[in-house]
Amino acid sequence: MVTTAAATRRSFIGVASAVAGTVAGGLPAIAQAASAAQGVQVIKFVSSFPMTGSSYGQTSTVVNAIRMALEEADRKAGDFVIEYEALDDATAAAGKWTADKEAENANKALNDPDVMVYLGTFNSGAAKVSIPILNPSNLVMISPANTYPGLTKPGKGEANEPDIYYPNGVRNYSRVVPADDLQGAVGANWAKKLGAKTAYVIDDTELYGKGIADVFVSSAAKLGMTVAGRDGIDGKASDYRAVATKVRAAKPDVVYYGGITQNNAGKLLKDLRSAGVDAPFIGPDGIFEDAFLKDAGDDAEGVYCTFGGVPVSAYTGDAKVFAEKYAKLHGGNPEAYAIYGYEMTKVALAAIAKVNVKDRAAIRDAIFATKDFKGILGTWSFDANGDTTLTTMSVNEIKRTAEGKLEFELIEVVSAG
Amino acid sequence: MAGFEFLLQQLVTGIANGMLITLIAIGYTLVYGIIEMINFAHGDVFMLGAFSALTFLQLVGAQAVRRVRNVDQAPSPETYLWLVLAMILAMVFCAALNVMIERFAYRRLRRGGRMAPLISAIGVSFMLQNVGLYWKGASPVNFPRFIPQIDLVKEIGIDSFVRFTTKDLFVIVVTVPLVIALTVFIQRTKLGKAMRATAQDRDAAQLMGIDINRTIALTFLLGGALAGAAGLVSGLYNNTANFQMGFSYGLNSFTAAVLGGIGNLNGAMLGGVFIGVLAALSDGYIDPRWTPVVIFGTLNLVLILRPTGILGQESAERA
Amino acid sequence: MSQTLAPALPTASRQPNFGTLARNLFIAVVLTYPFLDLAFGWQALLAFIPMMLMITLAMGLNIVVGYAGLLDLGYAAFYAIGAYAAAFFTSPVSPLNAILPDSPFFWMQDFWVAMLLAVLVAGLAGALLGAPTLRLRGDYLALVTLGFGEIVPRLVKNLEPWTKGVKGMNPIGRPYLFDCTFGVDPCTIFGTQYKLGMIPYYYVTLAIGALSIFLIIRLRNSRLGRAWAAIRDDEIAAQGMGVNPVTTKLWAFALGASFSGATGAIFGAYLQTISPDQFEYSTSVIVLCMVILGGTGNVWGVMFGGLLIQSFDRIFAERLTGWVHKFGAATGVPAVATLLSNFDLLRSRLFIFGLCLVLLMALRPQGLLPARKRRESALIDETEEEANARHDAAVAQAGGPQ
Repeated sequence: MVTTAAATRRSFIGVASAVAGTVAGGLPAIAQAASAAQGVQVIKFVSSFPMTGSSYGQTSTVVNAIRMALEEADRKAGDFVIEYEALDDATAAAGKWTADKEAENANKALNDPDVMVYLGTFNSGAAKVSIPILNPSNLVMISPANTYPGLTKPGKGEANEPDIYYPNGVRNYSRVVPADDLQGAVGANWAKKLGAKTAYVIDDTELYGKGIADVFVSSAAKLGMTVAGRDGIDGKASDYRAVATKVRAAKPDVVYYGGITQNNAGKLLKDLRSAGVDAPFIGPDGIFEDAFLKDAGDDAEGVYCTFGGVPVSAYTGDAKVFAEKYAKLHGGNPEAYAIYGYEMTKVALAAIAKVNVKDRAAIRDAIFATKDFKGILGTWSFDANGDTTLTTMSVNEIKRTAEGKLEFELIEVVSAG
Repeated sequence: MAGFEFLLQQLVTGIANGMLITLIAIGYTLVYGIIEMINFAHGDVFMLGAFSALTFLQLVGAQAVRRVRNVDQAPSPETYLWLVLAMILAMVFCAALNVMIERFAYRRLRRGGRMAPLISAIGVSFMLQNVGLYWKGASPVNFPRFIPQIDLVKEIGIDSFVRFTTKDLFVIVVTVPLVIALTVFIQRTKLGKAMRATAQDRDAAQLMGIDINRTIALTFLLGGALAGAAGLVSGLYNNTANFQMGFSYGLNSFTAAVLGGIGNLNGAMLGGVFIGVLAALSDGYIDPRWTPVVIFGTLNLVLILRPTGILGQESAERA
Repeated sequence: MSQTLAPALPTASRQPNFGTLARNLFIAVVLTYPFLDLAFGWQALLAFIPMMLMITLAMGLNIVVGYAGLLDLGYAAFYAIGAYAAAFFTSPVSPLNAILPDSPFFWMQDFWVAMLLAVLVAGLAGALLGAPTLRLRGDYLALVTLGFGEIVPRLVKNLEPWTKGVKGMNPIGRPYLFDCTFGVDPCTIFGTQYKLGMIPYYYVTLAIGALSIFLIIRLRNSRLGRAWAAIRDDEIAAQGMGVNPVTTKLWAFALGASFSGATGAIFGAYLQTISPDQFEYSTSVIVLCMVILGGTGNVWGVMFGGLLIQSFDRIFAERLTGWVHKFGAATGVPAVATLLSNFDLLRSRLFIFGLCLVLLMALRPQGLLPARKRRESALIDETEEEANARHDAAVAQAGGPQ
């Protein structure tokens, strides 16, 4: 594959040179010089996360963690020097990731012969754009944060998913976080454990939030709970008092929120509590971040969060070392996904060191062959779908510490496998 | 729970929200009335008003109300002093900001057609949003509870599904006097008269010796001051603030201003309450995910069937 | 736009006209860009495709805003309608896919047919929105369009059985030429296999853009175009001269929307996935900024404004931080270098973008290349100027206040 690709590329340079020659005389020489100046020893990683707008708080810690992992390896793997570039898949005008920017990043990576690993994406919707672009060229993707099940798991999304994303039939997309089909079920199990018979489900009408809320609903039904009501909120709305009144009238035993902090999760919680809804509030990892504590204030106390992993405060061993080192370097705790950014970089480095060739297909296969990897998340492997075998999920409760600060506290580790 | 009580509760919610919308809508209606421009940055001025009030309250260390088992403790007396000061500060800050925006971004475009000021306003809106992003970060931030929330319906001894709390009362108690004061100012004072004259015919007003630049600056000052007040009220009422809140509030408020009839203060209030109630009813009876469709659908219907708004005069149709 | 290099060079040598030379050079670069990009490794091809799509969108909006003078703040809605219409006909996840293949209408699943249908649907939507709002003027119209722009993405989101809601539609039918399906490698052209990547999309986008420019210039100089100008400048006078304001404005809405229909169809096919959050208010605003910044009503101005905004948003803003750091290092003063290296412009992009808009409006409120008192530009060819003069004369004759 690679040799034919290179051959076509060369023939293109020929065509381009001919055309450029008619425009101005001296250009082809520069063109050739530019293409000849490729180091053989360099392997490039690129990441594609939204670095502009509201996700920046999370994505910047992931990028920091990737850099940390690279620095620890001295920017070397096997015989190669590793270079890293963080691309932004958001535009200033949109303030969040856009599909065309993600397509641009993917193609940029695709066309750069040095790029062997594509670290991303942050949003599952963006992965839908870039996986099919990168798949034919065997460029491997590792995501630290995508949790939409349909990206990898047959039967968990639309009927044509996930095959639609892999035109050449070989998987090239993997993720180090467990998908939402596990997490939504953990949320439902927890609601059951709290003794709930009815649940009110609210989502933020986005791919992630609605998806996980749907999983919660189906899992809750299997566990014999009834859904007292289902609403989708607009993350930009100014308040949710009217929704809170509905919830109060429905008198549910728990309220489940599928969505992210940035879609006003804190405000929803406040309005529920102001309206006198005292039912436990359960949310997914989208609200498992410091930003939620800052947003929800006093009302955050007692909120339950599920998460595909354990919270920073409950890190032990290597993970704890990582968090401490991170805090020392960057002055502040890493966000929940940072550790995944670190882990996926380590996996990629280990795979390259193992095969020690600069070949996209070989590196992809090596990463997919990751077995019993002893990382800071524990010992885990990739399954055939590219999903992590780690199914450790945690249920956390926001509690007030002795000093009066609110913090996520691990209350139960469950295996969702 | 009776269906009637549910309806009543949604109406209460809608009216309180509508009051807040009114405060912002006035800024739009004043500016549009006088220079016929949609001041796109107005919502973001409101957002910065909330941020400035929050920063001030944090700096002076005002004591938030602690909430224990759904019952609020009473705040300390000096809290109210801090709140009044925060209100004044936010009003002054936003008024100054709005006047500056007018001076530097809009004034020289006044004769340059209607597109240029609009684009300039969109530019200012982007700038203010970025300032907000820097100031308080990307995620919503908590605006601590300073106003206790006591259910007045329960206090007077009626056991009902309907709750009308001190916070709802607070919004109404702040908004209504401000709107009345502004109406009096515009109707009774010389400066108010100058504003009305400028709105009606700028050239004629100038010929009569009215300083147009000062009058327009005054309009922005008043609109900004009310946006600042709205910023604090929103913070105290909603207990949250984020750098994007200007957009949604701004859109609803401008809609309210148009519904009520541009340039008409009572209309702004009527439009604000109308939008607030409409949103609450849609959330309550349809589905919150349809609420924006309902609001904008209604707006479009009203505009198509009655382009001058509910209370607007014919003059609103001039283009 | 179909001029090639061969006739251009002799013209340039016969008549040493810098403007013609610059124009031909520009056309040559645009036509050969994908190969230049490959040869030099600029990696910007994929930035240019959405850029050109946005500029084509701006061209369509320019009909509504620039020619007919109707302020439209919800243009992205038509873009969405176009993209979803094309996806609706061609996507295997579309509910239509259950009935179309075995029906006599199977040909509707062909991309080019679907694109034409998308153009029709978007144009129809434009007329439908336009019809009841025509008696509104100025900013009220703007508000109705803004409302429409807010409603459409939410309808798409909420009508899940038809549109797949937030999951979006995926995949979408691809355009093709002969045996070459765009974006699928290898591509067979006349029996030879090529590895073309996204290059076909570059050319199809370019072709649609060029066709739009051609059509829009023809439109402007047509009877309808003159009627638009007359209505924009003085509706009552125009009415007195026998221009029917209702049909004239309706045509502006319908034609303006139809351009976004074609653009939306290509956009969807290019990305292979569309979801409602790609068509939000910010898209409408950016496209409007492009139109006004460049110079409302002037095709070349709009193109220039679009290039400026898009290249800032996609290319310069991203590299600005790097440049600032390099500049700091280049000064050689350690203090300056450290100061500037702490500078991260990533988080100030929105601010810089806003500031640019404000400054440009303050310095050139009519846009960079305003329609009437337009400056000499390298990009304006003579026939265009003649046409413009003819157009002005015609409007003057019709009694328009030029």
